[in-house]
Amino acid sequence: MAAQPYGLIATFESASGVYHAAETVRDAGFKHWDCITPFPVHGLDRAMGVKRSVVPRFALAGGVLGFSSAMGLAFFTGAVDYKIIVGGKPFFSPIPTTPIAVELGILCAAIGTVLGFFFMCGFPMHYHPVLKSDRIVPALDDKFLIVIEARDPKFNLAQTKALLEKIGGQDVKELEA
Amino acid sequence: MSTHAAPAPTVLPAAIPAAPAPAPQANAGKALGIGLAGLALTALGLLVPGNASAVAVAWLVGVVFWTAVAIGMLMLVMIHHLTDAGWSVVLRRQFEHGISGFKWLLLLFIPLLVASWLGAGDIVWPWGNLNHVMHGGHTVGHDPLYEKKSALLNLRTFSIVSVAVFAFWIWISARLRKASFAQDLDGDAKWSAMNHGTSASGITLTALTLTAGALCWIMSLEYHWGSTIYGMWFFSDCIRGALSVGLLVQLWLYNRGDLKGILNKKHLHSIGMFMHAFTAFWAYVAFCQYLLIWSADIPEETFWYNLRELNHDGSTNQWWYVGLGLVFFNFLVPFLLLLSYKHKITPAKVAPIAAWILGTVVLDLVYNIVPVLKDAHGDPQPFLSLNLVWIVTAVIGVGGVFAWSYLKSFASTKLIPIRDPRIVECITYHE
Repeated sequence: MAAQPYGLIATFESASGVYHAAETVRDAGFKHWDCITPFPVHGLDRAMGVKRSVVPRFALAGGVLGFSSAMGLAFFTGAVDYKIIVGGKPFFSPIPTTPIAVELGILCAAIGTVLGFFFMCGFPMHYHPVLKSDRIVPALDDKFLIVIEARDPKFNLAQTKALLEKIGGQDVKELEA
Repeated sequence: MSTHAAPAPTVLPAAIPAAPAPAPQANAGKALGIGLAGLALTALGLLVPGNASAVAVAWLVGVVFWTAVAIGMLMLVMIHHLTDAGWSVVLRRQFEHGISGFKWLLLLFIPLLVASWLGAGDIVWPWGNLNHVMHGGHTVGHDPLYEKKSALLNLRTFSIVSVAVFAFWIWISARLRKASFAQDLDGDAKWSAMNHGTSASGITLTALTLTAGALCWIMSLEYHWGSTIYGMWFFSDCIRGALSVGLLVQLWLYNRGDLKGILNKKHLHSIGMFMHAFTAFWAYVAFCQYLLIWSADIPEETFWYNLRELNHDGSTNQWWYVGLGLVFFNFLVPFLLLLSYKHKITPAKVAPIAAWILGTVVLDLVYNIVPVLKDAHGDPQPFLSLNLVWIVTAVIGVGGVFAWSYLKSFASTKLIPIRDPRIVECITYHE
């Protein structure tokens, strides 16, 4: 047996059971843990103490990057590197460049959103210990799981197991890494 | 003990006053008083010699601004019905009170028609007087461009169109309000179905009528000029005005205690996202218009912007700074502020943003309307002038009447659509 398990896994019978258990685990101060449910449970994110997503930051960064690189490219090519008079218009003007810059800004914001979402979800992830456990199968149907990872600073095999059992977790077992 | 973020409370912090405040409708008399005082002050401007046009144009700004707010409310009510939205049921009730104001706005619009018929025909719209001297010395009557457009731009057709579009808005508002208020009494879902039907045809007709209003009342002030996106531009101002007024009214009712336990952060978030989206929409439309005219560079079109940049001697006039101000203050500032989630859900932050947007929407209308007032050289009268006084009093005056109409309607029915099929969905609205 491996020296250190991945964590502890506990089964709950109902959505409300896992919801209230999640509140207790949240209040106990755990950081590295997760709930696994067969369907979205409304309000579970709040019961788990999940903060608002930071994905919008990626979108903003992408938008600013796209907008400024389009403006910058138009300025550099038109007014610095290769000046050509076209139709008597200025070498660089922000007016005709704005639609291009906005388009690139939107494209990069969209790409930033998708990549940021993947990144925050922990992708790419080719292996997760929970998927090796047999208990994932009923959790895709009518059971609910809480997994507390051993890397959590508050993790203590005996105490955490007692906590999970106290809050209604059934069949609390170590999960092989 | 939690080291995690504390769960965000769904309901906003309590803000109930110690003593129960008087009902909102108790303020109706005060609103009407402010409104009539504002209108009287505006009318006092007529005592200044040679000031009649300035007062009439300021009056137009006041009426058009609040009409825009009411049109925006009407559109949002119909969008709510067409999308069968759940979250905006409570907000919709505020808009239903707001659209009761169309009849009073028509009443306030009629003096402009009367003045054009009975007084100088060109008191507001230059084409109203065939002897009006145009830039270059010829008169409107001898202007080939006027002859092409005279089928619409004569006082008779113009008056009929103006009254007809108001009549349509009054009628469709009454129809939407009646069904919604009737549902409060019997809870029958057929009223929702009826409003879906009304909205399906009504949204198209309102889009057409608001375009007609924008073309007749605002664009025809410089009838040589035309912009095919003008209706969209006006629509964006309508929605932005309506959302900002709706938000401020909701917060006012919340702070009084009326909407305590009903209005939550997610509602504010959604209204804020709409405000954000339509701020971008305004910039999109206004910029498209500018870009196409700038790019084509045809004198028949560019003169409209040139008037707002340069005097006849080539010096920069004040409208240039107003135009630049719109870019930054009507778009960039609210756009950047509303990017933030916190700004959208915090009443103390979003209320000033909404008030700011209302101010810049007025400024946008002023930019489009007021340069019709020309000085002796044919240049627009400066932005910073006595005219601003009449504009402010007219906007406050018409606003007072609009608020009075809202409060009067407020007293006539329930605070929220208590038996709307989606009221629970609205009250429990969450992320």
